[in-house]
Parts: sequence; structure tokens; C-alpha cells
Amino acid sequence: MYLKTLTLFGFGQFHDRTFDLTPGLNVLLGPNEAGKSTITQFITAILFGFPTKKHPELRYEPLDGSQFGGSLELVKDANVYRVTRVAGARGGKVTLQNLTTDLTLPATQLPKLLAPVDLALFENVYALNELRLGTVFQASKQVVMDRLRHVGAVGSDFWLAQAQQLDKAADERYKPQGRNPQLNQQLQQHRDLTAKLEKANGAYQEYWRLLQDQETARKRQTTLQHDLAASRQHANDLAQQLQAWPTYQQWQELGQTTTTATTGFTEDDVTAFERVTSQVTAAQSALKADQHRLQNLQSHTQLPKIFQEALKVTPQLTPLLAQLPTMTETEQERARLLAQQRDLEQRTTGIERQYATASGQMPRPFSLATTQQLKQLQDNLALANQKRRRLQQDLNQANEDYRRLQPTRQRRNPLADKQVGWLAAGLVALIGAMFLPGTVFKLVGAALGIVIGYYGVFVVESQTPASRQLQALADDIKDLQAQLREGGQRIDELTDQIDAIGTAHDLGRLPAEQWLAAQAAIGEWERLTQQLDSVHQRLTATAATQQDFQTAVTALLPSLAHQDFREVLHQLNQLQTTQQQLATQDGELAGLTAQLKRDQTALTTAQAAQATFLQTRNVADEAEFYHQYQTIREQGNRAAQCQALATQLGAARLAQLQRTDQATLTQATQTAQATAADQQHQLDTVTTHLATLAGQLTHLTSSGTQATLRQKLANLETTMQATAREWLLDRLTSQWIAATLAAASGDRLPKIVAQAGEFYAQLTENRYTKIELTAETLRVQRADGAWRTVGQLSRGTAEQLDLAVKLAFAVIMQPQAAMPIVIDDGLVNFDADRRQAAYRLLAKLGHHLQIILLTADSAAPTVAQGPTNRVVNLTSE
Amino acid sequence: MKFIHAADLHLDSPFLGLTGLPTQLAAQVRQSTFAAATKIFDRALAEHVDFVLLAGDLFDRAEQSVAAQAYLFDQFRRLAAAQIPVVISFGNHDYATDQHQLVAYPANVTVFGPDVTTTTLTLKSGETVAISGFSYPQRWVSDDVVAAYPPHAATDWHLGMLHGAVATGGTNDHYAPFTLDDLRQKHYDYWALGHIHHHRLLAENPPIVYAGNPQGRAINETGAKGAYLVTSQGHELVPEFFETAVLAWDTATLTTAATTLVALGQELTDWLTAHPASLPTLTALTITTTRSLAAEEQARLAEWPALFQRTQRTALRAANRYFVRLTVVPPTATLTAPELDQSYWEQGAAQVFTPANVQSVFGKLAQEPSLAAWLDQVTPRDLQQAASRRLNQRVRGENPDVS
Repeated sequence: MYLKTLTLFGFGQFHDRTFDLTPGLNVLLGPNEAGKSTITQFITAILFGFPTKKHPELRYEPLDGSQFGGSLELVKDANVYRVTRVAGARGGKVTLQNLTTDLTLPATQLPKLLAPVDLALFENVYALNELRLGTVFQASKQVVMDRLRHVGAVGSDFWLAQAQQLDKAADERYKPQGRNPQLNQQLQQHRDLTAKLEKANGAYQEYWRLLQDQETARKRQTTLQHDLAASRQHANDLAQQLQAWPTYQQWQELGQTTTTATTGFTEDDVTAFERVTSQVTAAQSALKADQHRLQNLQSHTQLPKIFQEALKVTPQLTPLLAQLPTMTETEQERARLLAQQRDLEQRTTGIERQYATASGQMPRPFSLATTQQLKQLQDNLALANQKRRRLQQDLNQANEDYRRLQPTRQRRNPLADKQVGWLAAGLVALIGAMFLPGTVFKLVGAALGIVIGYYGVFVVESQTPASRQLQALADDIKDLQAQLREGGQRIDELTDQIDAIGTAHDLGRLPAEQWLAAQAAIGEWERLTQQLDSVHQRLTATAATQQDFQTAVTALLPSLAHQDFREVLHQLNQLQTTQQQLATQDGELAGLTAQLKRDQTALTTAQAAQATFLQTRNVADEAEFYHQYQTIREQGNRAAQCQALATQLGAARLAQLQRTDQATLTQATQTAQATAADQQHQLDTVTTHLATLAGQLTHLTSSGTQATLRQKLANLETTMQATAREWLLDRLTSQWIAATLAAASGDRLPKIVAQAGEFYAQLTENRYTKIELTAETLRVQRADGAWRTVGQLSRGTAEQLDLAVKLAFAVIMQPQAAMPIVIDDGLVNFDADRRQAAYRLLAKLGHHLQIILLTADSAAPTVAQGPTNRVVNLTSE
Repeated sequence: MKFIHAADLHLDSPFLGLTGLPTQLAAQVRQSTFAAATKIFDRALAEHVDFVLLAGDLFDRAEQSVAAQAYLFDQFRRLAAAQIPVVISFGNHDYATDQHQLVAYPANVTVFGPDVTTTTLTLKSGETVAISGFSYPQRWVSDDVVAAYPPHAATDWHLGMLHGAVATGGTNDHYAPFTLDDLRQKHYDYWALGHIHHHRLLAENPPIVYAGNPQGRAINETGAKGAYLVTSQGHELVPEFFETAVLAWDTATLTTAATTLVALGQELTDWLTAHPASLPTLTALTITTTRSLAAEEQARLAEWPALFQRTQRTALRAANRYFVRLTVVPPTATLTAPELDQSYWEQGAAQVFTPANVQSVFGKLAQEPSLAAWLDQVTPRDLQQAASRRLNQRVRGENPDVS
């Protein structure tokens, strides 16, 4: 294929300009700014489309306003086509005409007409300029292969189409820079989801943060609770201190006024003294009370006067009193003895008076025989007397009866009518005898009473009047008178006998009838005299005893001194009786007495104790003591009050208060309370925060967002994998096709390399002889055999290498892709010789393919001599 | 002595290989890792075990799941209330970082540090148990960690906890590689392993046991899932496996000669009736066709699986199955390429289906972790076969295959 004409409607600086070209070498000559690059760009643009408006510098839109675009005629397979491109969408509006057949072809036919050369291949291989020649630096096998692939598969249209379809399908699935393809969308979705998940995952950080916060807050809460408790305690303490301040002040005042009083004794002493005093008082009052009671009792019991006196000496008195019965007995004994003595004396005296002789001589007592004799005598006498008296009586009786029996004598015995009076008189006598002292009188009286009664009853009653026997009576009288005389003689006899006895025994003074009785009296007298002696002795002993006793008693009870012993005894007896009475009969009195005793003892003891106490305390008297005591008590009170206040305050508090003052304390309290309030507030805040945290945590925990998103993401990834697989398969299959095609065309590569080596040798005038294509890059062999990599080549030499490769490619691939080579000042870096060599090579190649050389080098046309070559001057019309 | 050995709870980790699930099933899936783990803790409480060993991968650190963390706190507190100690060694998914030190677990939880340490428990029975283990400090642990395990302590029992994989000798031994002999030489009474998701007794006497994961999460995690209840019998520890999964995974194949989609559907329904599942089972079924479907049927093949799932819901529910993948494999045929010699195709394939080329084509997509992970699993050969099928379809003018 070659370009026949170029018609520029308006392109760059050109308008309505036509260049005719030959199939061989065309040299388009022009200085700088003549439009060489414009021509190159024009060919590219018409064939492959205007660059987008993004690159206005490459569009070359005309500056003069003529129609943008142009046309060119190309010859391919003996057909002439005209390609017209003017401004329009998607690279410009294309009109394609087959001038040979005069058919207008659809614009889509143009790429097919140019195939396999596309814009990339054209720009990479066929359109050369200085800049593009540098591309050899990247020239690797792959690049060359890629270029080959474009052209090598010619003839395998089906497969290329398939590959294209696959690529298209792949592009629909995924494009690295795309947005709409499936996978791109999925990736976008993935990114969105990931972003969402990350946002949701923020919850995770949030969760840990919250947990940490919770932990911190909990710790803080605990600390605050602790602190708060402490602060409250502190504040309370301070408040209490403050509250205690008045007390403290009171304490302070008390403490200041308290002076240490000198005291000989302590508070305890006061108590002790109080006790002692109270003991005294109590004893006194008890004593007084008891005395009073005793007086009362005494007034009732008529206690002996000495009783009280005796009470004092009770202990000593008691043994004496114990002797009292003995003494009483003694006294009685004495009295009895005295009485006996008196009696005895009396009796003795009586007997003496009765029996004693004038000289006081007492008659002698009878012997037993005498006594019996006398008794006999007396009995006889008595009988005789009796008889005589009876006779006399009978006589008297008889006389009386006689007289009575006489009528004058007829009268009643006055006494006989008075029986009751006799009885009464006897009874009175009997009873009256009872009042008589002495048993003898009593008995005599009684006998008299009985006799009187007897007389009254029996004698008077039996005195019955006998009148009838008056006569008999006179007889009796005489008889009786005789008998009386007889009896009188008997009596005289007896009386003489008795008198003899009496004389013998000095009983002359006594009537004989009394002798026997006197005998008893004389015996009695003797006995009495003896008794008297004995009594006297005993009396003496008794008196001694009594004297001793009395002396002892008097010692104890002076009041009894010079008193009669009997009185003493009486008193003592009374005392004892009283004591006994008190002891036995009246418990109260006894108790009282005992109590009195005790009271007395207690009082004494107490008073002694009190005295001792006062003495030991160096105090004169009670008043002074109490004065001191008062002082001490006041002190004590103050101290106690002080102590009480101190106790109330407590030692610790007191110490605290002592360290501060009220203002400071008030300040501190307020501060502490403020602190506590602040901490409470903080605690409330923390607690609220914790509640919020708990809520947030619950919310985070229960939110299924994360899991849902993750599962969505996992699902999306599954889908993405499926899409990616499809895409990869499409791409790989496409590659496979390409590779297969490349394999099919792969044998052309060595030819290209060989050809390039040949061209390179020509261009470098055989300085370099060989090119080798490695997997990574190209390397060249110098004539001396040394290898140089592209990087080691000079710029010009490297450009020559690129030119050689490209020319070789174009030449070798010409059967598949015949395309003109457009060189736009590509040889500027060549030195003159190599440029000439290049010209020569181009001229030679011009025989096989169209070459359009745009140059400012005026030496160039010299190589373009020949029928197939043409030189066009750009600056000439 | 009685304890539970579990591992790889992977709490709150998503299920892989799903493109969509019915809502109810999706909810079940979301809760499944928790439900399965709860079964373990329930069992621990019910059995009054002496302690619980969790041999790593309790959760996926990368997932940053709040729910997982909160769940663990809750469960640990439950066990704490029952005075059951928990011993944890973190694995490659939940490798220890600072965050774990920030929030302390309840006092009954012992977490191993990055170095092998031994914790000793005294049981209620008075027996003493030494437990040695370590936590991954980062994703990979390639060192020979087992060497650091101490010999059998002077306790009644000595257990080893190890999250890792048997050494292959290759370059991919990133997970505390060990050999069974290494472990045996310690003369422990039990090795509680984690990392491999299939429960397995690697050895007996002493038992060297992978607990597996309690809940399968991908199609390659089929089979029974659970944990071990280990009981002492005399001087030996006897592990007894118990199931915990609430969802199962299953792969199956069905070969059919059906040529119509109706016949294919019928065969599939029959298959479902013949293969009921006890647990809700996520099933991947590959249907190999021995004969090509008719051309018009081929066109509808793309929508057919979805259609089947929709219309045969009853049958699926009866079989307790849900198809997560339904692949219809067409009959195989060799590529007959017109105009080009087979040798060129082979030459081309040799260039194209190389790991390097595949990687290069994949290009930037490899930056996408999930795609890179997928690519790691795919062999060039698989790709070539798939490409070959694709070319065949093109040669025959068919639509792209359905998979």
C-alpha cells in the first residue's frame, strides 16, 4: 500500500494544499516551521482519526478558519481509495471511496483496509520522528512480538475476531481503568462495602475504646467512690470539728481559769472525810434517835436511872450482873439470916424472958426420963383436971339444968338462934386468919374460925334444953360434987410432984403445965443459940461477899456508892431485870439497846476517825476542811467539766482543734464540702457515663450491621471471584489465541532481527555487525566482537538501531502489512556520514516500499535521484 | 479429670462462597458460629468439666467483630460463674495484639503470651494439670516453637496446646510447624491442636488431636464439626468427639444423561429425595452431563439453577438442603481449531497458562485480597481446561458456559 496524494483542506498551517507522492522515496524538504510534523500528523490523523480535543496541540486545527481535515488517496491491491476525514465525532467524519470501483464504502471499512496496522502499530513502527526513535530503549522481545502479533496473524481473521470478542467480553467484565464493567462495578461495590464495613468496624475500635472507657470509668468510679467517702468523712469530720468548736472554746476557757490549788488532800479525801463525817453524823443521829427511842421506851418501861450509866460499863458490869442472882440470894440469905437471927434472938429472948431466971439464967432442960415422967404427970394432971372440969361441967350442967328446969329458968339460949351468925363469924375469922402474918397465926386464926363455926353449928345446936330431969339432976349434982372433991385431991398430988421437978430444974417461975412446953422452948433456945451462932457466922461471910460486890459495883456505877446494898442489889436487879426484860420481853428495846451500844461504838470510832482524818489532813476543823473542800470541789467541778468537755470532744478531736482556729476550720470545712460535692458531681458524671457506655456497648453488641456487611462482602467476593474468573478466562483465552497466532508467525522474528542487523551494519558503516534480541532487551555486537546493550549506546547510535529494527520490521512484514514509512526529521542526531548512509539505505528501500522523508536537510534530495523518487519543497507552492 | 478441647471458633466470621441466601438461612448462618460455640460452653457447664482449652482462632482479628468479643466476654463470665478455668492460646487469625491486654478477661481465663509458658491448674479432685502453650504474636509463626515446650512437668497431667500445622518442609510452613515425633518427645498426656478445621486424631497414646472448627464456614469444610470432651481413664486421656455445628456443608456430584432441563430437574429432585440431610446443609452439586443439551436448552441453562431453587423449594426443604453452587459440566471435547495447527495451540498454551503470565494478566486485580486468594487456589491447568471449553463453545458458536 502506498499513499498517492495528500489533500489538506485545512490542517495546521496548510489549507487547500495537495501533495502528490510516488510509491518510492519521497523527500519533503522544508526548513523549521515549514510543516513537516504537520504532514506526519496529517497522515496519521486521516488514516486513524483526529486526536481528541483533549490534545488540541495534536489536532492541528487550521488557524485561518478553513475546513478542518483533508483527504488522501491510497493504493492497495491495485485499488485506489480516497479517505476523507473532516471534523466530526469520534476522530472525525470519515468518507471512504473506492475510486477504482467508484464505490463509497462505509467508514468502518477503513480499519479493515489498513489492518493489521492500527494507530499504535503505525505510530510505533511506521511513523518515525526523533522522539519516537527513542522507543528502542524499551524495545524488548515482547514489544517486537506485540508488533508482530498485529501483523503475524493476518489470515487468521476468525481467531483474531474471536480474540477480539473475548477481549471485548473481558472488557465488559473488567477494565483496569474502567468504571462500568461488571467487575469494576463489583470492585466499586466492594470498595463501598469495605468502606461501610470499615465504618462499621469503627464500631470495633469504638467497642474496645468503650470497653476501655468502661474499665477506666469503673476504676474512676471506684476511686471516686473511695475519694468521696474519704472526702465526706473529712468534711463530716471538719463539720463536727466546727460543731465542736463552741465546746472547745468552753473547754479552753475552763482550762485557762483552772489554777492548781494547793491541797493537802484529794477529792478522795473529801469523799473519805464526807464518809467519816457522815459516819459521825450518822452515828450521832442514830445514837440520838436511838436514845430518843430509848427515852421513849424508858418512859414506858421506867428504866432505872443507872441503866444508861450501866450501859456504858456493860462489859465490865456483865460478870457482876451474872453474880447478881448469887448476890440476891446472898442478900436474901442475909435477910433471911438476919430475920432468922432476929427471930432467933427474939425467940431466944422470948424464951429467955419466959424462962430465964431473973438473973437471966435459963432453966436446964429435962432429961428424957424426966420429961416422960413429967409428961406422965402432966397427962395425969390433965386427965385429972379434965375429969374435974368435966365433973365441974357436969355439975354446972346439972345445976344449970336444974335451974333451967325450974320454970323461971325457962328461956331460950340466945345464942342458939344465932347459928348463922356463928358460921359467918367463923368464916370471917378463918379468912381473916389468912391475912395474918406467919403460919402459926394463920393456923390459930383458922382453927379459931373453925371452932367458932363449929360452935355455932354444933355446940349451940346441941344445947338442947333438959327440964324434965330436974330431979335427976340434983342427984347428979351431989355425985358430981363428990367426984369433984376426989379429983381435987388427985390434982394436988400431981401438982406437988410436978413442982418438985420444976424446982430441980429452975422452973420455979413457971407453972408446971408449961414445963414440958418449956422443955421444948429450952431445947429450942439451945438450938436457936447454936443456929444464931451459925447464922452470925454466915452473916459475916455474906457481908464480906456483899462488901466485895458492892465495892466492885461502886467502882463501875459510882451513883450506887454509899447506898444500901439492898438498894444496890435492887437497882442492879432492876437493871438486870430491865436488861432481861429488854432482852427477852421487848426485842425492840433489846435491839435498841444493842443498837445504842453499837451506835455509841460507831460514834466513838467515827469521831476518832474524823479527828484522825482532820489531823492527818492538816486541817483544824470541819469548817476549814469544808472551805478547802469547797475550793477543791469547785476546782474538781471545773476539772470534771473540763474533762467532760474533753471527753465529749475526744482526745483526737481536741488535738485537731488545738492545731487550728475557727476561721481556718470554717474555710477547710467549706473546702472539704465543696470537694465532696465536686467529687459527688464527678461520680454522678462517671456513673451516668458508665450507664451511657453500657447502653452504647449493648447497642454495638446487638447491632448486626457488621456481620451483615461482612457476609455481604463475603458474598460479593464470591461473585467477584466468579467474575474475575470469567474475565481471566476471557483474557487468557484471548492471549492463548494471540500466542497461538504468534507461534504461527513466530518464525518471522529471527528474519526481522537478521534484517535489522544487516540494516544496522549499513547505517553504522559496519561498525556494528549483529543484533541479538533477548527476552529483556536488544544488544548489539561491534565489529570487534564486543557486545553492547542499548543503554551503552550513544543516542545517535541507539536511534540508528531503532531505525534499523523498524525498517527491518516494515520490510519483512510487508507482505502482510504494507504501509508507508514516514520519517519526520528522524535523523537529526545522525552524523553526516551516517545520515548519508541512512539516505542511501532509504533510497534503496524506496524500491520496495513507500518512504516519506520529511527533512530540513537540503542534502537529502541528492539521494532521491531516481524514477520512483520525488522531492517536494514544502515552502514552494 | 474432664475437660473440653475446642479450637477455631472463628466467631462471627462470614461464610465463604455464598452469593446470596434466603433471609432465614442468612440469619441462621450469621448466628451459626455463635450457636456452635455456645453448644461447647453449654456442654462444659453441663459436664462440669474442670477446664476448657481453646486452641486458637477464637475469632478473626481482621473481622474486628464486636459481637465476637462481646460473646466471648459473656461466655467466659458464664464459665467463671461455674468456676471453670479457660485456657486460651491465640492463633494466626486472632493473634495477640495490644488490644487484648487493654481489656482483661475474667479471672478464670488464662491467655498464653507470645512465648511458650506453662500454667498449672489444681483441680477440685486435687489433681494437678500443667498446660503449656503460646499465642501467635503475629500472623505467621515459622519458628520451631515446639522446641520451646518444656518436658513433662511434675504434675499429674501435662497438656500441650498448639495452634499450628504439621511441617511440610516447604516454604509455606508459617503456622508453628511441627512433627508428630516432636510432640511425642515431650511425653505429654494430650496435645490440644488447633488451626486445621477438620477434627482428627493425628495420633493416639498420647492423643494428638485437632479439634476442628465447631462450625464449617465454607464448602471445603464439610463433615462433622465440633469439639472434644476429654476424660481421664486411669492414666490415659480419652477424647470423645461431639458435634456442635448448626449448619452443614456438603459437596456432591450427579452424573446425568438428561438432554432437557426438565429431565435434569427431575433427576435433581430425585437426588434430593435420596439424600436428605439431618442439619440444614449448604450443598455444592456438580452435575456432569454425558450428553449435550439441546441448543435452546443450553441458552436457558444460565438461569436454570436459580429457577430450580425457586421452584423446588419444597423438595429442598424436605431434604434440608440449599444449593450454594450448582454446576452443570458439559461433556468434554477436544479443541479442534480451524486453520491453525494443534502444535501452535500447545505452543501458545505453554506461553499463556503459566503462573507468571496468569499473575501478570491478573495484574492489579491481585491487589484485591479476595481475588488474590482465589487466584492462589486456581491452577493454570484448571484455567487452560476452562479456556479450552470456552474456545470449543466459540468454535461451535455456543454461548459461554455457565458456572
